[in-house]
Amino acid sequence: MYTWIWRHLPGPTGVRLLQVLVLFLAVVALLFFVVFPWLEPYLPFDRVSVSQ
Amino acid sequence: MTEEPATAGVLDDDPPPPGRSGRHSAPRSSGGVLRTVIRGIGQTLITLGVVVLLFVVYEVYVTDLFGERKQAAATSALDAQWSEHAAPATGGTAVTTVVETAQATAVVDAEQQAVDPRTRKKNYDTTLGDGFAKIYVPAFGADFVFTIIEGTNPDDLYVGPGHYPDTQYPGQPGNFSVAGHRVSKGSPFNDLGLLASCDALVIETQDDWFVYRVLPMADEAAGWSSTQHDHCAGVEPQSGQYAQVTGRTIVDPSDYAVVLPVPGVNSTEVPPGAERLITLTTCHPQFSDAERMIIHGVLVKSYAKAPGFLPPELKETS
Repeated sequence: MYTWIWRHLPGPTGVRLLQVLVLFLAVVALLFFVVFPWLEPYLPFDRVSVSQ
Repeated sequence: MTEEPATAGVLDDDPPPPGRSGRHSAPRSSGGVLRTVIRGIGQTLITLGVVVLLFVVYEVYVTDLFGERKQAAATSALDAQWSEHAAPATGGTAVTTVVETAQATAVVDAEQQAVDPRTRKKNYDTTLGDGFAKIYVPAFGADFVFTIIEGTNPDDLYVGPGHYPDTQYPGQPGNFSVAGHRVSKGSPFNDLGLLASCDALVIETQDDWFVYRVLPMADEAAGWSSTQHDHCAGVEPQSGQYAQVTGRTIVDPSDYAVVLPVPGVNSTEVPPGAERLITLTTCHPQFSDAERMIIHGVLVKSYAKAPGFLPPELKETS
């Protein structure tokens, strides 16, 4: 997958590295702002209140 | 253009396109498929590992940043509300002068501000999701203060410690119960495990300061003497229907009775002559929520708020 992406990025190596960085940050932002907040309530280490 | 195949070749173990060396093309391509599959699995596993690590970073650091911003917004909203209450628009200069004079004396004498909690009324309304009080824990440092939010659903607790809406309010007979995150979301209750008996839990409301102190721990109750420590006046091991109430307990998440008026007694009724307690709940052990850590404290002192007056207990930093 990663080789496929690398092969399809245009430009010389330096430009590609930059694009890879931007792609990586975009994925991280997607995880931090969308995926993880959605996932969090389903995971078993964030509940602090008692309930009946 | 001349560079591209070379660069691709370095990072790419794909077999050369068929036809480049006709004789080996058949065995190479089947080995290439296997290699591609194995490499795909490897990349997927590494990717998942990185995602899990990122989740840890998110949970432990990023939610703290988000939580701090929400907490700051809630605090400034509460401060605005309180200052509006303290200084109605009709206040003239004469009033200001009186207040300033009072301030000068109040700073000197804390006893003058001490009040009987029975005479204090709750003159504020609470809205789910909004702050209505502040908690100070001097033992955690002079700067430890969080705005307490009404409500304990995940959105409320993201902002700060949340008050169980069915429990009593600060200073009232019964149990003022608050939940807070131990790890992530600002981590207000990260250090509850470090609280010692008699440590002050100071609650500021619109009109009052309420000073609670952590009750004796279960292993300290025998041989307890309230004079053994400067700050233990008014803190005694509990007896009667309160006998099971100690400074710190670890309970199951389903043990809702710990936040009820008499902790451990399954009744929402505040009995006559009930004590004025505070209860803090957080997850336990750290980084898990298999159990809950519960801190119980008892009201030992109340002060009326005055401009410039801070309870002396806030200086009990250790």
